[in-house]
Amino acid sequence: MAAGPTTEVRPMRERLPLPDSTYMQAVLLGGVIVTLLFLLFASPSTHTATLRLAVPIALAAIGGIFAEKSGVINIGIEGLLIVSAFTGVIVTFWLGSGESTLFVSHHWWGMLAGVIASTLFALVFAVVCIEFKADQIIAGLAVWLIALGLAPFVSRIVFGSPNTDTVGTFDNVTVPVLSELPLVGYLLFDTPPQVWLMLISAVLGWYLLSRTSFGRWVVASGENPKALDTAGVDVRKVRYTAVLLSGVFAGLGGAGFALGQLGTFAGGGETDIQGRGFIAIATYLFANYHPIGALGGSFLFAGLDAIQIRLQAAGYAVPTELIRTIPYVTVIVVLVFVGKTRLPDAAGENYESGED
Amino acid sequence: MTDSGTGTIADGGRGVEHGDGTARTAGGDGGGDLAVHLDNITKRFPGVVANDRVDLRVERGTVHALLGENGAGKTTLMNVLYGLYQPEGGRVVVDGQERAFDSPRDAIDAGVGMIHQHFMLVDTMTVAENIALGNEPRKWFGLAVDRERIDREIRDLCDRYGFDVDPGATVADLSVGAQQRVEILKALYRGADVLILDEPTAVLTPQEVEGLYSVLEELTEQGKTIIFITHKLGEATHAADEITVLRDGESVGTVDPTATTQEELAEYMVGREVLLEADVEPRENGDVVLSTDDIVVEDEREVEVVSGIDLEVHSGEILGIAGVDGNGQGQLIEAITGLRTPDEGTITFDGEEVTDWSRRERIDAGMAYIPEDRHEQGLVMSFDLVENGVLGSQRSAEFANGGRIDWASVRDHTEDIIETYDVRPPDADADAVSLSGGNQQKFIVGREFERDPDLVVATHPTRGVDIGSTEFIHDRLLELREEGVAVLLVSSKLDEVQSLSDRLAVIYEGEFVDVTDPDEITEEELGLLMAGEHPSERHEPTDTVATGDRGDAE
Repeated sequence: MAAGPTTEVRPMRERLPLPDSTYMQAVLLGGVIVTLLFLLFASPSTHTATLRLAVPIALAAIGGIFAEKSGVINIGIEGLLIVSAFTGVIVTFWLGSGESTLFVSHHWWGMLAGVIASTLFALVFAVVCIEFKADQIIAGLAVWLIALGLAPFVSRIVFGSPNTDTVGTFDNVTVPVLSELPLVGYLLFDTPPQVWLMLISAVLGWYLLSRTSFGRWVVASGENPKALDTAGVDVRKVRYTAVLLSGVFAGLGGAGFALGQLGTFAGGGETDIQGRGFIAIATYLFANYHPIGALGGSFLFAGLDAIQIRLQAAGYAVPTELIRTIPYVTVIVVLVFVGKTRLPDAAGENYESGED
Repeated sequence: MTDSGTGTIADGGRGVEHGDGTARTAGGDGGGDLAVHLDNITKRFPGVVANDRVDLRVERGTVHALLGENGAGKTTLMNVLYGLYQPEGGRVVVDGQERAFDSPRDAIDAGVGMIHQHFMLVDTMTVAENIALGNEPRKWFGLAVDRERIDREIRDLCDRYGFDVDPGATVADLSVGAQQRVEILKALYRGADVLILDEPTAVLTPQEVEGLYSVLEELTEQGKTIIFITHKLGEATHAADEITVLRDGESVGTVDPTATTQEELAEYMVGREVLLEADVEPRENGDVVLSTDDIVVEDEREVEVVSGIDLEVHSGEILGIAGVDGNGQGQLIEAITGLRTPDEGTITFDGEEVTDWSRRERIDAGMAYIPEDRHEQGLVMSFDLVENGVLGSQRSAEFANGGRIDWASVRDHTEDIIETYDVRPPDADADAVSLSGGNQQKFIVGREFERDPDLVVATHPTRGVDIGSTEFIHDRLLELREEGVAVLLVSSKLDEVQSLSDRLAVIYEGEFVDVTDPDEITEEELGLLMAGEHPSERHEPTDTVATGDRGDAE
């Protein structure tokens, strides 16, 4: 994929979603090797578990990329996952799971509600950061903490427990014939819909960011907002849109995870999301803000999670807590030894037009 | 005063405004073909009138210089024309039509483009991406940016105006001069007919300045109109067809550069007579105060940026270092002042080896430093002047008593600096951020000079400072020299290093290419040296080593 002398790689990446630095190409190569080993030696159920567990991480990461590229660091993404997962489950429960309205399954209405809830939370965050110039880190923490408290609170009122009742999950989408294919058959053509949403979002995210004028504005807004402002583009609008997009993607991830994988939502402690939003931040830093790279990174971290679940099921007591430090350790190692992840110049800085 | 040309000095502009001013635009363009007419513009900020009924007429296809000191209101006036500010009074007339620009977008749409002093470019993006930013042509029903079209249009523009810019290059990799051309292309791409350039030469080498002049010529030949803001007299007289002088927010008048002298212009600008050339008396050298031996410095990316520099500065001597920014002078200075540890070599100060001394020890030993970036290093912008005034001396016995700062004496000290160095507004309680750049600089210069130093390391001491204040800072530097202080002066202003220095070292890619007597070298030769080219054997081949024994005045 990334082989060949660099001079020939260059024109290729004009057309293909390939990362542009040798560091990213090395990561890509490593990723391909690890993936092959994983596909060869892990069981099909671990493969499918990996794909499903990657959903919240990948989608939250794609959302986070948009926010941060535009200059707004959204560490509240964990909170957005919690809000959307919980809302998805509770709305599905209210409507009645297993039934449909207007020919659409209530799981999908729950999904829509989850995305809307997450986007509204993102809007509040955007207003606080962009309009009131609050510190983005503090505001992001607030989003997380509010979600962390609000979900079990509402759950307690509705269900009398921090954990919701079970609503069940999406049915697998099974494509006839294609699902019989080896490997890709059960990976892609007999899989719950949120997996497809994740794959499509990654490509869409990459396309938006690198091929549309909006993507360029997002990058400019994060690197040099004044340049964008003087070019006649409203930095505030770009940042609002980017943060709202992070809410939409995270909402798809949170609700997709709850309604496609969990079928319920446990709101106690760190909730069922279990820090996947923070892993998502680590993932996109690891992927140097490349949406498709972030997808790959989410596979790595979800794969470790899937293996760990398998090991526990098989009776090996691997402490989950230890496994879950892996993404952060990886990111620190990457940042220390490679140091290629570069934050946008104006990330974390609030921008005021007309200031000199 | 001059009667010739378009000279309407002092009250002239004001006298015209009611009668002629209105009549002219009401009936179209009247006499000349005016591309821009700013009629009677007034712009107030809280507590200040930045523009007081200013009148500016710019003829199509000409280069018009807007000359004035810092704070004279030049940039404010242009920001009004560019839609960044809305004036309280007066009219903006572009192409004979009265306009009300609410934002730069409106100005761009009316064909007015601005090239800011600090380039508005996104370093990580390509030239093409920057040029088209905000104006991307689209294809596939708006779903994708039409990159081929952008490249094609940029190539067309380059051909037409004779630019040599690669649309695919990343902006961060370009020289400052090339970045400026990208900015100009950006304005042209947006269909600008009137180009405003804010202090366009501040960051350029002499060769790049020449390049800019020819670009301006090419542009005006093709019918574009240029307004450029400057406080440099030479530039205004050299490049402009007409010069409008602003002073204290008022227009002093418009003159024809061929019919005036620089002295006269300076007088209009400042309002009094100004000595343009600093008068340097040659003098005997004293003891060596600072010397470095084979200094090597690597930057953050572990690239060697200073490659074995030897220098000596004597008491009562000014050693100038000329060079294009980014040739290692910054890192050299940081090594000398203790902000950075050299990878090799030693630094000796007042006879002691100080290579491993901390910054604080060096300050205590009498090393004053005017840093390159006043915002990042010189001041704490959110502190008031009293707090800023004690920076660097916060532990000295004069101001501190066992960890407690004696604010009363610091205040006295600060007020002395403010008075002596004419910092405006003269308010010790004002936050540093509220001062104009030139006044911030004067304050830093004052603070550092009043440390009673043995050595002053001055980096770009007059960057962004108007000529009145520049003259003052130069005088103070020379006074210190008279008092036997050693001065190491780094500046990208050639006339500054040339006129002040006793010896002049030229740095290129981390090495001294030459150390000369500044009186014996022309600006052209200097420019070539700064670009790394040795002019044809002008004198005996010199070692790249700076020792104190050559080139100084006998």
